[in-house]
Amino acid sequence: MKRTFPLFLVLIFGIFALLPYIIPHPIIQNTDELLRNNLLKILSAFALVLGLGSLLKVHTDKIKRKRENWEYSWVLIMTFIITSIIGLFGGVSGTGILPTSIGSFPFDIQTIYFNVVVPLGSTMFAMLAFFMASAAYRAFRARSTEATLLLIAGFIVMLGVLPLGNRISPHLPSFAQWIMDVPNVAGQRGILFGVALGAVATSLKIILGIERSWLGGGGGK
Amino acid sequence: MKIIDKLAKIDRRIIYLILAVVVILPMIFPSVLRVRVMPPVEKLFHAVDNVPKEKALIIDFDYAPQTAPELEPMGFALLRHAFRKRTKVLILSLYVQMLGLAQNALTEVIEEFNSVAETNTDSIIYGRDYVFLGWVPPPIIPILGMGESITNVYQVDYYGNRTDTLPLMKEIKNYNNVGLLVSLSGSDPPEWWIAYAQNRFGLQVGAGVTAVSASKYFSYYQTGQFSGLMVGMKGAAEYEEMIEKELAIKSRRIASEALPPLTYAHLVIMVFIVIGNISFLMQRRKK
Repeated sequence: MKRTFPLFLVLIFGIFALLPYIIPHPIIQNTDELLRNNLLKILSAFALVLGLGSLLKVHTDKIKRKRENWEYSWVLIMTFIITSIIGLFGGVSGTGILPTSIGSFPFDIQTIYFNVVVPLGSTMFAMLAFFMASAAYRAFRARSTEATLLLIAGFIVMLGVLPLGNRISPHLPSFAQWIMDVPNVAGQRGILFGVALGAVATSLKIILGIERSWLGGGGGK
Repeated sequence: MKIIDKLAKIDRRIIYLILAVVVILPMIFPSVLRVRVMPPVEKLFHAVDNVPKEKALIIDFDYAPQTAPELEPMGFALLRHAFRKRTKVLILSLYVQMLGLAQNALTEVIEEFNSVAETNTDSIIYGRDYVFLGWVPPPIIPILGMGESITNVYQVDYYGNRTDTLPLMKEIKNYNNVGLLVSLSGSDPPEWWIAYAQNRFGLQVGAGVTAVSASKYFSYYQTGQFSGLMVGMKGAAEYEEMIEKELAIKSRRIASEALPPLTYAHLVIMVFIVIGNISFLMQRRKK
């Protein structure tokens, strides 16, 4: 029962998710709307709680067993607790149950977002430019015909997307655009078709109960 | 041959230093680089420009701080364009992290317009000219649900007002009243709008994406599924060029100002790739 019931639910809801696309009857459409706007919202709220619980469990376990880099788990747990408290009392922008501030510095989620999340996120991505420059110098070599072609195409596109490209030749941006529009799209479309067919096959396997690894417990075929 | 060996092993700190200098210097001495507007951006501009008066433009702000330098100027330019044309605007985010940045862009652009407005009609008024719908999880719910009823999915807006009490939302019921949706994102949301909102409800979709994720989106642009496409910093600069040229909107051109550091950084990377390859080829010949 523990395994059959979830499989049955997946079969029913999996098939039902397809029906609104092919059956315009109001019964199907209204049921679909009801499921999406009510059931799915409730499920995602549960998923959020489960996700947070699981995150905390994994990191407390890591600290207990002193696994590699366990110190960082403390950072995660502490920031989780501090952010939750500030969010609960300060709200999104000082609209919580007990808004607090020191001078002009309010304790709310917006403050954390603009003073911690935004600078940290920007810094992480800005540092990538340095690593990419160093990696490109070391790894981007014309070792074979394919690598040489990639190098040439990369150079044309890089120059073409810069204002400088238009100054070198007005044809350069158009040629760069052609590379993106034709050879790039040909390759991308092949990948997209492959991914889509793979997704259809995997979805069918899950709906029909052939693929069961999502149930957990190492029961996948 | 010693020089060749040295060129093959340039210390990474030297690369970092040169890159830092070419990025920082143009920021200290800012300048604006003009760009040639390419067809994908031109098409997006016209798609926004042609949104009928009775319909709305939805802007999906789905960029995080990491991708904001590329995508935020697109958001600014789109908002300026829409408000100048007096197009009705709905703002939303599919992820909660993006709401702060969306709010930021809205506040700044609205202040620009309202600071020069002389009458109530000239001003950009919340609920009449635009609505910030906020965020409803998970992403699939608003994308599909808005096809039937926007106020049903977003029962309250970002500020906690009931959406069915806002004058604008009495006119904009679902996708039938939406002329175009533009998704600004560094990941998959533009594809979702195509897969769910366009395929099922026929919604017109445009996109603004990061340069690194652009290659996959050209497939959708080529088939006409995207009404237009902005790619990276240059795409944003092209849109800024369009709104300045066509609508005489004179405002700070953030993306155009960012192009000189970007250009020099690209050139430095290209020079290092050339150096790396010359030394590689010479070492190979030597062997």
